[in-house]
Amino acid sequence: MKLPGLAPAAFATFATVLTLGLAAPAPAQKPEAPKIGAVAPDFTLPPAAGGAPVALKDLLAKSKAVVVIFDATKCPYAKGYKERVATMGKEYAGKGVTFVTINSNKTEPAAEVAEDAKKHGFAFPVLKDEGNKVADLYAAQKTPEIYVLDPKGTLLYRGRIDETHEDPKNVKSPDLRNALEAILAGKPVPAAETKAFGCSIKRV
Amino acid sequence: MSPSRISACARRGTARLPAALVLAALVLAGASASAEPVKHLKPEDYSSRIVAGRKGRVLVVNFWATWCEPCREEMPSLVAAAKKFPARDLAVVLVSLDSQKTGPAQVPKFLKAQKVPFVSWLARTRDPQDFIDAVDPNWDGSLPYTLLYGRDGKVAARLSGLQTEASFTEAIRKAVGAR
Repeated sequence: MKLPGLAPAAFATFATVLTLGLAAPAPAQKPEAPKIGAVAPDFTLPPAAGGAPVALKDLLAKSKAVVVIFDATKCPYAKGYKERVATMGKEYAGKGVTFVTINSNKTEPAAEVAEDAKKHGFAFPVLKDEGNKVADLYAAQKTPEIYVLDPKGTLLYRGRIDETHEDPKNVKSPDLRNALEAILAGKPVPAAETKAFGCSIKRV
Repeated sequence: MSPSRISACARRGTARLPAALVLAALVLAGASASAEPVKHLKPEDYSSRIVAGRKGRVLVVNFWATWCEPCREEMPSLVAAAKKFPARDLAVVLVSLDSQKTGPAQVPKFLKAQKVPFVSWLARTRDPQDFIDAVDPNWDGSLPYTLLYGRDGKVAARLSGLQTEASFTEAIRKAVGAR
């Protein structure tokens, strides 16, 4: 190819053709997230450690609320919240709230997820979402990203755990805790939507 | 470095320069990246320090973090796309959402290793949501996220998620062309 000999106009045309030829297809539309006040989709997923599949509807049937957490093993943001998730899971289990984590990352196999949950003392269902089907259903984009459902599956809170992954002793905005306390008290959730911040879910 | 020096795009050759010389210049420009210390950016200073620094050019602001895998992956695409436009048309600035603890060391280290010729600021905020809302209330907080501002300073395009050289180029071309 005689690039050096090309006239500027020809070079520009060549560059345009090349660019158009390499143009990526328009990115796929993001699935629509469940709305606050709407019923969130049901799902059934296998535990990362193996065993019988867990159905959301069964968790809802025995709980005052279910906290669905899209989680990760390697993400520094998700790692920063592990201890808080473990602690809150145990604390709120005594109040009738069920925590469940879902790992949808294609880069984190079930065995790794199970080991990570064991290491952090997660005493609730830890599920593996192969093919990120449930992440797609919920339009979950990040880890950690939280969805809180009432016993009918109605979405009452969506967003983050709190505002800081690295300073757990100085949390100023405990958004998930505020939501759960409001739900247990039969009151409206003060901030039903916050912006989750963390790593993107690694999809297939 | 003043905010006005936020552009680090390589200049494309003029019509009189042979294409080979142009390509050589682009390579040299890309190799001249240095690891400058990051500058801290408060949410309330975003417009005055970043958007106002475009000086009549199209401005690309790429929000990223060293812990964000797709951010690291798309960085070479942004560098390659930006090199297609002269500095009189385009300014590029990075804003990292790395933490205040690790960012000051990790951000320059990454930029130097990858020979990224852009200046990166580091968001100084205890609450990421404060920063995200100050930048763009339409942003859901996902990284990477890229905003293109037209010459008039208005948002011309929002690019959410992993981009390619082609998608960056297309978006910049549209914004630059709309004089």
